[in-house]
Amino acid sequence: MDGKRWGVALGLAGALCAAPGDAAASDDPAGPAPARFAEPVRLRAGDRWLGGDRLYPSPVLYDVDGDGVRDVVVADLPGKPTWARATRGPDGAISLAAEKPFLGRDERPLDFSNW
Amino acid sequence: MGSQFVDLDLDGHLDWLSATFDGSPHLARGSKEGFGAPEQLLDAAGRRIIISSFWDWDAKTHKVDGRALDAASPPQERCVSAWAHDMDGDGDLDLLLGSYENGRLYVQWNEGSREKPAFTGRNLPVAAGGAPFALPEKMTAPRMVDWDGDGDLDLIAGSFGDSYGHEGAGGRVVLARNVGRDGKTEFAALETLIPASPKGAKEPTRPDAGLYADAVDWDGDGDLDLLVGGYSMWTPEARSLTAEEEAEAERLTKERDEVQAELARAGREYSAEVRKITEGKDPKSADLLAAVAEARKRYQDATAAPRARSKTLNDALHRLVPAPARETFVWLYERK
Repeated sequence: MDGKRWGVALGLAGALCAAPGDAAASDDPAGPAPARFAEPVRLRAGDRWLGGDRLYPSPVLYDVDGDGVRDVVVADLPGKPTWARATRGPDGAISLAAEKPFLGRDERPLDFSNW
Repeated sequence: MGSQFVDLDLDGHLDWLSATFDGSPHLARGSKEGFGAPEQLLDAAGRRIIISSFWDWDAKTHKVDGRALDAASPPQERCVSAWAHDMDGDGDLDLLLGSYENGRLYVQWNEGSREKPAFTGRNLPVAAGGAPFALPEKMTAPRMVDWDGDGDLDLIAGSFGDSYGHEGAGGRVVLARNVGRDGKTEFAALETLIPASPKGAKEPTRPDAGLYADAVDWDGDGDLDLLVGGYSMWTPEARSLTAEEEAEAERLTKERDEVQAELARAGREYSAEVRKITEGKDPKSADLLAAVAEARKRYQDATAAPRARSKTLNDALHRLVPAPARETFVWLYERK
């Protein structure tokens, strides 16, 4: 792995880099086929909507607790991120626990200053 | 704020890179004990990294500075997103900076090393398909991910769209494939992954505005799905009203409008009073701050009853005539 790949790969978690994407489609002389998605579904975290009642929630996967399953971190406009612990069931489906504040190493909620 | 978990100084711990609406990137440095308190990321000269528009924490005001764009009259663009990526293939991480206004993308070169980044403080516009990268409906945050599986990192980005109105076009998610060679990043023209929302739904059906996207293999089937946060905006279908209910709705609307006009008048008087108190005075003086606080308390006391009445009227009205709704969620777009 050259310096570029090493550097950037460190910034991406697991499967983000491993997924094959649509490489086959890019061999088509007409150009890559547009991605198609199923109808979107809202995600639950515990008994609430993930990212509910926030200002501009922005989700990203990151293994917060080091258990090998990437959790969902939800940042927002005020700069006060939360996270929802992810577990994978026997059928492979992911379920999310209720969101809680993301604590820094001083055990206080992280606060990315917004104006 | 978007998020990137990246080992910015190659110390073996992921750091948390972001940017907020104060107009600068912030970094929470990682360690084995966790993340430290976020701090502003600085350039090689120790200056705050900006595009042009930013919130001055000391002066408590918004400012525009053209130093990072080499422009005496720079476009008023605020950095609200940041991503570390080796754009030129030299082995260190450069900074991609995204603007809110115009949805521009800039690169700030790292002239240091992988271990000790030294950002130049100067931004250069990034192109996509030979034209300046732009999301006129305002960009939320870019991310780099190997979307097409060709081994290099492509860019996906969300946009805000009209985040408040229920009729203006909403946000979307775009892709810019990396078609560069020899480790250098070059973006092809933008492709749409999720089209701009037309809005107008009667229930939450998708994120309509303020779309922040991450590309993840959520279901473990080997392709990349999209996880998208944002606002859903909808108006529930109104039911048929009886003649009595219609009359009641009309009465509630009339009274509600009168109360809100009263509140608007009070708001204008409060603003005028604050202007009078602050005009020509030192904005940091204790006397001025106390006078403003007193004026605010008088305004809040005077408007408490009409504000409560307005809410009561609105609640009763919306039991008859549904109000437009706007709530945040995170959505999964599973790749077919």
